[in-house]
Amino acid sequence: MQQFLDLTLSGLSQGAIYAAFALALVLIWRSTRVVNFAQGAMGMFTTYLALLAVDAGWSYWAALLLALGSGLLLGAFIERVVIRPVENGPELNPVIVTLGVFIALQALASLLFGAQYRSFPAPFGLTGLQAGSVNLAITPYGLFTIGAVLVTMIALVALFRFTDLGLRLRASAFNGEVSRLLGVPVGRMLTLGWALAAVVGSLSGLLIAGGELVWPAYMDPLIVYGFVAAVLGGLDSPAGAVIGGVAIGLALSYVSGYAGSEFAGLAALLILVAVLLVRPAGLFGRATVRKV
Amino acid sequence: MRVRPGAAATRIAAVAAVLAMVLAGCGAGGRSEDPGGASDVGVTPTSIKVGAHFPLTGVAAPGYSEIPTGTRAYFDWVNANGGVNGRQIEYIFRDDAYTPTQTTQVVNELVLRDQVFAVTGGLGTATHGAVLDFLNSEGVPDLFASSGSLLWNQPEQNPMTFGWQPDYEVEGKILGQYIAQTYPNARVGLLLQDDDFGRDGEVGVRRTLNTQIVSVARYTSGATDITPQVSQLQAQGADLVIGFTVPSYTARSQLAAQQLNYRPQWAYSNVGSDPTLVGGLLQRLSQGQSGPNPLEGVLTTKYLPGPEETNDPWVQLFSQVWAAHGDGGPLTSFRIYGMSEAYTFVQALQAAGPAPTRQGLVDAVERQGGGPDGFRGPAYPPFRYGPDSHAGMAGVAVARLQGGSTVPLTPVRLTDNGDAPITDAPAQERPAPPPQGIPTVVPTGS
Repeated sequence: MQQFLDLTLSGLSQGAIYAAFALALVLIWRSTRVVNFAQGAMGMFTTYLALLAVDAGWSYWAALLLALGSGLLLGAFIERVVIRPVENGPELNPVIVTLGVFIALQALASLLFGAQYRSFPAPFGLTGLQAGSVNLAITPYGLFTIGAVLVTMIALVALFRFTDLGLRLRASAFNGEVSRLLGVPVGRMLTLGWALAAVVGSLSGLLIAGGELVWPAYMDPLIVYGFVAAVLGGLDSPAGAVIGGVAIGLALSYVSGYAGSEFAGLAALLILVAVLLVRPAGLFGRATVRKV
Repeated sequence: MRVRPGAAATRIAAVAAVLAMVLAGCGAGGRSEDPGGASDVGVTPTSIKVGAHFPLTGVAAPGYSEIPTGTRAYFDWVNANGGVNGRQIEYIFRDDAYTPTQTTQVVNELVLRDQVFAVTGGLGTATHGAVLDFLNSEGVPDLFASSGSLLWNQPEQNPMTFGWQPDYEVEGKILGQYIAQTYPNARVGLLLQDDDFGRDGEVGVRRTLNTQIVSVARYTSGATDITPQVSQLQAQGADLVIGFTVPSYTARSQLAAQQLNYRPQWAYSNVGSDPTLVGGLLQRLSQGQSGPNPLEGVLTTKYLPGPEETNDPWVQLFSQVWAAHGDGGPLTSFRIYGMSEAYTFVQALQAAGPAPTRQGLVDAVERQGGGPDGFRGPAYPPFRYGPDSHAGMAGVAVARLQGGSTVPLTPVRLTDNGDAPITDAPAQERPAPPPQGIPTVVPTGS
């Protein structure tokens, strides 16, 4: 029983991390209709900037703001300089370009920051909490991660559902031509979409890094599970991303704990295939898939 | 279409020239009879080329990427003192990111393009295992793999390959025996990397501690979260955990235990127990929230002096070497490891004589490397080299991490694979370093 509780709670904190990553993917998909493979590398890069700041004596929170701010700029920069020129070509081009950005950023990070492991300090404790004599395998930092992910999710839902800006973002992504006719500054919206997604991506990078080891490829394993989480959730729905992330986190934790660590990757694939067979648009995606 | 006679002649000349160049290129790898000159591939009258593969990036890079910097510094020291038999050692190491497919690629480059004479210190069980067949079929001496796998000791099948450090079975046996004697009531859990490293270690531990083992958890290298594995050990009631883990997973296992409020007595293989590296990483994570080094009190094993043992004459020598030829960073245990390996390689090269050949090098290690009078250097135990054995060091001392240092709890204990008994090594057995810090092995008749 204790082991089940441990696996559940540690799966939950791990799931929150996948969810954070999936949220950034959802945001960029909703606001630009591009699947961004460079998301992880972008988050890694801004996390390194935050680590430099922490090493220089900044507080965690100042470094967090720095990472989010530089994420905003990095996202806008990449959209303007790298994605914009290929945006009007075949749909696949921007996606492939993001793969290139992924490799380039990782190489650049190795050059600038070195390839060795570094510790990223956490702002909260890393010791499990205890309720009386029962041990809870969740740390104060894990609770912070879960909280941050929920707040981000709510903010995104609010943005898309209740604001004009959200409507414009969605419209530009969905049909640029018509939006332009209706007076939406589509170019600016796309840049803004990338910038906001990169902010969420930076946040996910930081949440993953906290109390963990950081090196230029530290996001790689999470990219896979983050994508699975986003696709599970339907790629369109912030709530779906969070539920997908938590589901993957729990599933991997149980599989790894009861069956063995070597089955975790296999389980992720099985879950993905099973869900997509039953619900091709993901758990929370719109049933009618529109071909753009 | 007709071709002008002039053009045809030019073409033939061009083809002939290319052929000549190709043939000359092949010739560069051939043998020459000139004694003491270019005696084999990668050897010239003034230089000798050796190669290596190391994880300079990726999951295994922390710590391990420092090993070749130590090796290079020691080779530079030897070169500055005139080299080996007048030859400067040219050392090339490449990054394989601890990925076997990349190891295959970089070792291909080393052997086929760079034409190295020998490979030395190639790191990793899975990674080096991937190039074992290639090196042996190409006849390239593969001295002193940086891994304690049993794979390196198969002289029949892999005549060119030699181990160097104590293998994981020997290490597991000696560590297991100590735990069985000192903690007879402990319920032992094993945390194993799910490859030959973990498997060999388990074989060794089970030889001396089998009945006390209550739980075995395995993690795959590359997994981000090993909390489920540590949780299993806790659930099955292990109160002493032996980890055959690389440094980053030693750190992860400590983080997971912290999350689970799990406080067994920990023991780690020498591979993953560097107090400076792992302790440093852990300490920074919980910045300002935990006092002492999280690895304080952990059991491990030891076969080389650590950088903190400044009274050890070998550490003094290596400090000098590092000050003269290092990259300015601190002298770490990984750099000492790299220098010690380089020291043994220089011994082997000296034993191979003034006109070294690939086969001659292998023969020299078999003939002169093993036993108490063999290649001795900074390491406490002797090697087990011989015509029928390519196994590395014969033992370890059990030690405890204390105050950032590795304090021996037992004398050096010697054993061999299988059921071989465990014995204490004679005291004061290790020789002092030679005056110049350069070995003086004299080749004996072959």
